[in-house]
Amino acid sequence: MTRVRFFYPDVRLKRLMREPGGIRVADALERADVAIDSIRDDCLFAIDAKIAAIAAFKPAGSDVDSRYVLANEIFAEAGVLGLAELSDVAHNLCELLSLEGHAAVSEQAVGVHVDAMRALRSPAVSASSKLRRVVLLELHRLAAHLAGNHSR
Amino acid sequence: MAEIDFDTRINLSKASVLLVDGSSHSIDVIAQVLKGFGVPTIHRFSNLKDANKFLAQRTADLLIIDPTIENGAGYACVSELRHSGRQNATMPVILVSGHVRKANVALARDSGANFVVTKPLAPVVLLQRLLWVARDTRPFVDCGSYVGPDRRFKFEGPPAGSEGRRAEDLKSPLGDANEPNLSQDEVNAMLKPQRVII
Repeated sequence: MTRVRFFYPDVRLKRLMREPGGIRVADALERADVAIDSIRDDCLFAIDAKIAAIAAFKPAGSDVDSRYVLANEIFAEAGVLGLAELSDVAHNLCELLSLEGHAAVSEQAVGVHVDAMRALRSPAVSASSKLRRVVLLELHRLAAHLAGNHSR
Repeated sequence: MAEIDFDTRINLSKASVLLVDGSSHSIDVIAQVLKGFGVPTIHRFSNLKDANKFLAQRTADLLIIDPTIENGAGYACVSELRHSGRQNATMPVILVSGHVRKANVALARDSGANFVVTKPLAPVVLLQRLLWVARDTRPFVDCGSYVGPDRRFKFEGPPAGSEGRRAEDLKSPLGDANEPNLSQDEVNAMLKPQRVII
């Protein structure tokens, strides 16, 4: 029979947050958005570098994890910058690279995702929500087609 | 949990946060968000060696960690913190993770973190979790293998037909009542709001 101890630790953060003063939640969120905007260009530059790094990997079993980590970072960073479609593609790539049995990863499918991310970062596509949707649709069509070929 | 109230005031002007993430850009983004919230002190680490060194010697008011850092070693880092017996062992911990492999879901649950947040980490989500930490009334649980906030948000007793695994769980059948049942008037009196003059 497991012995369980329940207790209520003192949490300083709780006390601090309730202290008089501070700022309104609405103002805090507005300030956070402004603060993120101040590093937006650096983050976009980093995202482009990560897409390039994924593309530059030569297919080999040990590379899968490195690419997964990079795709995961793009997913998170693009999402917080409001690049929803780019974040979606990176998430799909994470799904692909985290499939059981890394040897089964289709390099063609990885390449399609990289191309989609590059397209979404191009000035013409990134400025048009219609084109961004087209890229996503095309990616899903190609990914489904490749998955079908791969399972045969 | 309640929706966020935009007119609520929060005071983080004396808070310190320990931020651990393998991606320096993720650290920058979260740090900017925290700065926007008014957090003056942010300790940033992009590797676990330095983060663990910090935790062994110092403390902060909150740990925000991406558990996927260094091939998932962040889960063990949180678990070790909880089992450390140090003063900071019970500090609030928020796991922030991007894509999570299915195999790691149980690790997140068992690590002892207060909350798990998925990236992309929108400021409103992070702020909501901070408010959840502030309002969290769950006790801490130490059962040897797990140390952390009670993972149950509500407790409805052991599963039907089981005797429970804890020494504190009541055995069924509970036996006969040793007092008469309350009358409806007594129940009504307990539920009815009363004006109290102090």
